[in-house]
Amino acid sequence: MSASVDLADFLPAYLAETEELLGMGHRQLLAMEASIRRGQAHPRAVRELFRAVHTIKGLSAMVDVEPIVDIAHWMETCLRHADRAGGRLPEASVEPLMEGLREIEQRVRQLAAGKQASPVPPGLLARLEALDAESAPGGGASKPAPAALMLEEAVASRLSAAEREQLATGATGGRRAVRLDFIPGADRAANGVTINSVRERVAPLGETVKVLPLSGAAVGGGGLTFVLLLLTEASDAALLEAAGGPPASVRPLAAVAPQAPALAPLPESALVEEEPEEARRGGGSLRVDVSRLDEALERLAALVVNRSRLTRAVAALTAAGAPTRELQAILQENARQLRDMRTAILRLRMVRVGDVLERLPLLVRGLRRSTGKSVRLELDVGDAELDKAVADRLLPALVHLVRNAVDHALESPEARRAAGKPEEGVVRVASHGRAGGLLDLTVADDGRGVDARAVATRAGVPVPATPDALLEVLCRPGFSTRDAANATSGRGMGMDIVHRIIVDQLGGELGMETRPGAGTTFRLRVPLTITLLDALVFECAGLRYAVAVGSVEELIEVDAARRVWPAGAGGVALLERRGSTVPLLGLARLLGRGEADGHGGGSVAKALLVRQRGELVAFGVDRLVGQQEIVLRPLEDPLVRVPGVVGATDLGDGQPTLVLDLAALGLARGGGAPHQRRAPAQEERRLA
Amino acid sequence: MSVLHVVFKVDGAEYVLPAADVLQMESFAGATPVPGAAPHVAGLVQVRGRVIPVVDARLRFGLPPVERTLDSRVVVAQLGSRVVGLVVDSAREVLKLDLQQLKPPPPLVVEGARGFVKAVAQVGPRLVMLIDFPRVIGEETLDGDGER
Repeated sequence: MSASVDLADFLPAYLAETEELLGMGHRQLLAMEASIRRGQAHPRAVRELFRAVHTIKGLSAMVDVEPIVDIAHWMETCLRHADRAGGRLPEASVEPLMEGLREIEQRVRQLAAGKQASPVPPGLLARLEALDAESAPGGGASKPAPAALMLEEAVASRLSAAEREQLATGATGGRRAVRLDFIPGADRAANGVTINSVRERVAPLGETVKVLPLSGAAVGGGGLTFVLLLLTEASDAALLEAAGGPPASVRPLAAVAPQAPALAPLPESALVEEEPEEARRGGGSLRVDVSRLDEALERLAALVVNRSRLTRAVAALTAAGAPTRELQAILQENARQLRDMRTAILRLRMVRVGDVLERLPLLVRGLRRSTGKSVRLELDVGDAELDKAVADRLLPALVHLVRNAVDHALESPEARRAAGKPEEGVVRVASHGRAGGLLDLTVADDGRGVDARAVATRAGVPVPATPDALLEVLCRPGFSTRDAANATSGRGMGMDIVHRIIVDQLGGELGMETRPGAGTTFRLRVPLTITLLDALVFECAGLRYAVAVGSVEELIEVDAARRVWPAGAGGVALLERRGSTVPLLGLARLLGRGEADGHGGGSVAKALLVRQRGELVAFGVDRLVGQQEIVLRPLEDPLVRVPGVVGATDLGDGQPTLVLDLAALGLARGGGAPHQRRAPAQEERRLA
Repeated sequence: MSVLHVVFKVDGAEYVLPAADVLQMESFAGATPVPGAAPHVAGLVQVRGRVIPVVDARLRFGLPPVERTLDSRVVVAQLGSRVVGLVVDSAREVLKLDLQQLKPPPPLVVEGARGFVKAVAQVGPRLVMLIDFPRVIGEETLDGDGER
């Protein structure tokens, strides 16, 4: 797999696109299943799914993921037959197709995790193939005899039997099987000619059966050649043009087209070409890596810090009697612009709640099968939006609530009938808009409701009198084990996890209403945005603190032999580090939890090197705990808005842990300027 | 007209706060100290997922600190758009007070209480003091209360 090294550049785009296509595939397949149950054809969904699978196949061939190509190929074949049958798919086909999507998804995850995609499970291809034989008119026996392909071993060995067959039999009428070699290069990329653009330009000219990367010396000096195997009616010149001219080359694959097979060639390309690829990609949206948005936010933060310096400079001018009225007006305008800018960037991180919930129908489908219950999932979230970081955290909580609702709250169809309810239970996820930076969501079921008495017995507490009290018991860590409790309490395990996510992590609110026999509604209120921080957590004077990883230049061990206390330095030690000296401040003392001996960093073992106004300063701490991503909660109250403290976070113990800005803390409370009170962090915090 | 009040104790004396301002009362298991905050700020606590500052009533009233007990409570109250807590020795009672009962505090109390007591009421044999909550909590940030 030496070629995959060169392909690493394509992988992120591949993963993102495949994931999107899989999501779409799942939606279409669910829609198809619903139609089948109503006895209707669903040609549109069949075509959409075909397109998704076809594109996945093409993309996967490009990054050389054979197992996915194989699975996609057979799914495609099955769907092609369904399409020719007017969009009717046999019900028995749904499950293998679902399985196919799942298997592809699993392999995409493996790739995303940097692993190799595992081989196709043997049973699956057989099942998909069987579908093909079943649904194909005339069965699989009438497949035409393959013609010989003129292919070098390096290429031929990487084609599946199906692809060889497709190439050999597909060249009929005016169509020929050709190979187009494209060699990517920096000069071509500069002109916008890349393998992606070539693929797109070749697509309308014929059917792309396979794109293979070949490593090794190529014409023009590159180390990588893409071999595009095509079925086309276009001329060599047109193909060459699409590939940006030489050093690309076109060669025929089969010398003579074989006899027209008994079965007419499938109008495959018709399916694909109906809608040009560009049209699907368009829509005026753009996929951007979240880290790029964060980078933009960081740049903005730097602007804000700079602005506060400017503000101070103007204040100094004003104090000196200079006419600064106009300057101040400009500064005010500038502050507003920066705030608007920040809002604009944060908006870029917003995702639609509807997209976040995309997986829920699939989850409910699985639960329907595993529980044998009849369930309808209703999603009514409008076009509400959430920050991606919130959405990523929120989803597991919603999955938990929906799973609980189906598993435990909804009764069996018989029980529901006996209770005079419709057999089909309803789980409804709805959003009721947003207010004041918060989004309200409900997850409601029409099941049996929570039995407060059973919950109380289980937890060994008096029967809770209010819904809040009942929820509190349900959310106790470890409440309800997987045994009989589920069926009796009507609410399964894991509510503590939901509570943790919604309340502790996101700083939101969780409420519940329940009526015996009528159902339960959970009310969630979450902030639209949160600030995430990669943080170093350490211990100092018996308490844990966190700092942004980015603010720390280096972590060092404090070696007592390399530390001196100069006279009159007010307890600031000097530490030798790589031939130069760095001031060492005991953080405990800065935090007012200091040792009485007056020596900064008396007993510290580790130090964090931080740049403070351009100078390196070491902050001595007791122990490093580790690095983790934290949710930053800004401290808004004036009582606790102090320089050096950026906010608080919950490390999982239910106690707030302070997030520090060491440089600002050092400036505000350190040796150099003990009474400096306005740190830049103040203004930064207001914006960030 | 009678209004529901929450009663709490600090150093043996009884204080009241309109129940409408009180969001909840929580047991107190210590706060995360905030360096550089005013001395009467005990620190931060997490109450139902919310991080709020808490003020130590004893320190605020100029009383010596005591060991916190199981009776110690955080009275969480709404102050405009702010939510803040007050750590008290105990709080386990609500009381209906007729507004007629509330009288301006005697000059001696005003002086001793540094303006934290807004009114006093005689309830049977007991004397309860209505505190000026915004004042007790304090708006001050870095400059504390004449501390620095």
